Amino acid sequence: MPPIDCEDQELLDGFLAETTELLEKLDDDLITLEKSSDDTDLMNRIFRSIHTIKGASSFLGFDLLVKVAHKTEDVLNRLRKGELVVSPEIMDVILEATDLVKLLVSDIKAGDIQERETDGTINKLLPFLLDTAGVSKPVASAPQADEQQVSTPETAEVTSPQPQSPTATDLPSPAVEREAPIDSPPIQPSVAVAQVPVPKPASDVAPKKAPAPPKPAEGKGDDLSDNSTVRVDVKRLDDLMNQVGELVLERNRMIQINQDLQQNDVNRADFNEEFGKLTKRMSFVTSELQMQVLKMRMIPVEKVFKKFPRIVRSMSRDLGKEVDLQIIGEETELDRSVVDEIGDPLIHLIRNAMDHGLETPDERIEAGKSRCGTLVLAAVHEGNQIIISIKDDGRGIDTERVGRKAIERGLITEDQFATMSQREVFDLLFLPGFSTKEKATDLSGRGVGMDVVKTNIKKLNGLIEIKSTKGLGSEFILRLPLTLAIIQSLLVEVEGEIYSIPLSSVLETIRVDQRKFHLIGGQEVLKLRDIVLPLIRLQKVFNVQPRGESDDFCYVVVVGAAEKRMGLVVTRLVGQQEVAIKSLGNYLANIPGIAGSTILGDGRVALIIDPVAMSEVCE
Amino acid sequence: MQNALVQIKTDNIHDELIQLVSFNLDQEEYGVDVLKVREIIRMPIVTRVPNTPHYVEGVINLRGKVVPIICMRKKFGLVESENDKQTRIMVMDMDGELMGFIVDAVSEVIRISGSEIQPSPAMVAGGIDQECIAGVINQAERLLVLLNLEKMFSRDEKNMFTGM
Repeated sequence: MPPIDCEDQELLDGFLAETTELLEKLDDDLITLEKSSDDTDLMNRIFRSIHTIKGASSFLGFDLLVKVAHKTEDVLNRLRKGELVVSPEIMDVILEATDLVKLLVSDIKAGDIQERETDGTINKLLPFLLDTAGVSKPVASAPQADEQQVSTPETAEVTSPQPQSPTATDLPSPAVEREAPIDSPPIQPSVAVAQVPVPKPASDVAPKKAPAPPKPAEGKGDDLSDNSTVRVDVKRLDDLMNQVGELVLERNRMIQINQDLQQNDVNRADFNEEFGKLTKRMSFVTSELQMQVLKMRMIPVEKVFKKFPRIVRSMSRDLGKEVDLQIIGEETELDRSVVDEIGDPLIHLIRNAMDHGLETPDERIEAGKSRCGTLVLAAVHEGNQIIISIKDDGRGIDTERVGRKAIERGLITEDQFATMSQREVFDLLFLPGFSTKEKATDLSGRGVGMDVVKTNIKKLNGLIEIKSTKGLGSEFILRLPLTLAIIQSLLVEVEGEIYSIPLSSVLETIRVDQRKFHLIGGQEVLKLRDIVLPLIRLQKVFNVQPRGESDDFCYVVVVGAAEKRMGLVVTRLVGQQEVAIKSLGNYLANIPGIAGSTILGDGRVALIIDPVAMSEVCE
Repeated sequence: MQNALVQIKTDNIHDELIQLVSFNLDQEEYGVDVLKVREIIRMPIVTRVPNTPHYVEGVINLRGKVVPIICMRKKFGLVESENDKQTRIMVMDMDGELMGFIVDAVSEVIRISGSEIQPSPAMVAGGIDQECIAGVINQAERLLVLLNLEKMFSRDEKNMFTGM
């Protein structure tokens, strides 16, 4: 294979960016196509995507890619013309082919082109190109039959864009014209190769291919998309520029005020007024600016969601279950840092829903439900949180079974189970090593899934909630902050030290008399309406020196961490503030109960409490 | 060829001039490689960080960056003293991360040639870990202990920092 020393790196980058984007969309489109096979627009779009990929890659000389794309295109072409009918079998093969294309593109991206085994996939495509596979008249079959034997696809393909491309360096045009229509190219390649490494006929590859061992191809194509570049709406950029312009004006104003003050030609009252105004404008501009930048970091959750139809499809075929996946609110935007992190937990939850939740068609009919199960994936904004829910109408969580399993594994005792509420039983699911499946499958049942989900959600400062009714289905609700860089926080004082609690996990704050605290087995608790709230004294956990003056009244900040509720006892509430999260660095990264730090208005550092870890510190 | 290069390199180390920042700690003088020192600042307000080893004084805000602060006296098991006008924080680059060290005073930058560095005497008592002493410099009037602060925290300590 030619090493990728494309003369024009820009060209290659452009190709990769475009192809990646097309491929991302392609998966989704293909799945949709399977459901609505008579959508000609969609069909045409798919055809165009793969055609573009083929064209661009042949132009750049990625022969393997061309070969696969070409065959896929042929099959799609027949589908488009109505010579074939969309069937799960065809889709399987086409999806396999797109996977292969992804893999090849990721090779190119990684910079080392490897010899991949492509014949297997291509051979699966070939039957659909035979006349017998079609339902009606053969149109483009004559040249295709040839290709199958000689495996020199795109030289024979007259419509192949490679020779026509005017940008294809300065290949002498006679050579091009001769090459294009001629069916047996072996004489030509030497000429073409000598001049430019780019448009090289695929036949050149065939002999080299034999000795190279096929490399394992699993999983590499998945991480094709990377989030290192962003597309930003030009309007957003313009807005940003405006804000920056205003900021510059305000800075100039500030310099002016400072000069006046230095030269003492300003009276106190004027200064106060001017400075007050300036502060207001500055804070306005800054928060606008912050909003703009935040918005730019936002990407639609679609980025994650669009992987799922494919996953659900392949799982439903593997498991023999019929599933209707509905996606709601995929345009909901959230911070890219969050988007990057929720992919895995969501995949786990979807797998769980597919494997444990939904029943097989027979079981469903027996239970009086429709054959086809529904899986709803929804995202919605609520305040400065995003709520993602995964809901199925399957068999629901069997609390009895979960409990028995937990007892079996020695996680809880019989007595404990007897007193557990439904919610507490659901919490068991999050314990490491817990699984109700008798046998681990490829899909789930290893008992790591929910544990991972919980850890990831925790990392994001999120909450997870389970709702389930036996026989009717279950719903997993994730509450996540919109962004991780800047958070709303509640500043509290603990004996003179200031700490910050993420507001997203604060449920309420109450002022209580310390004499109302009860002691249960050494644990201080507070009766709050109908719940018994375990209390944590921050002063004790953080070893803060008491300042003597003790007050009977203190404040309790009720926080929710994942599925737990608890009260943090503090001396005083300072107020609510928007804070930028700063890392404590590697050395202090893992202090229990501390998630990070932030810098207060007066320049001091305040530590941010991690309510989730806090609950574990105390256990 | 390879060997020759190595030879030249090691030779250079011996003759090369090294610049050290010297600082005082409980009447002794210490030195660290000037290239590792990012800046030297006065004591700002330090925010205590709970549940850390006793020698971690806390964190400070260094122009928007949060930097952990280590008290050298506590780390070396010396008598604690009040901070005064001379007290400084040396902000050092530790494997790519900034970390501040509280010292009694920073005196000067000195130049020494690599050959002046002697291995540390085997029996250095006290709380200073042998590993972080890179050598001693015995000049006419003064005795300087050369520290390698990157080796200051043993693997266990690093783990304790991060795995507590």
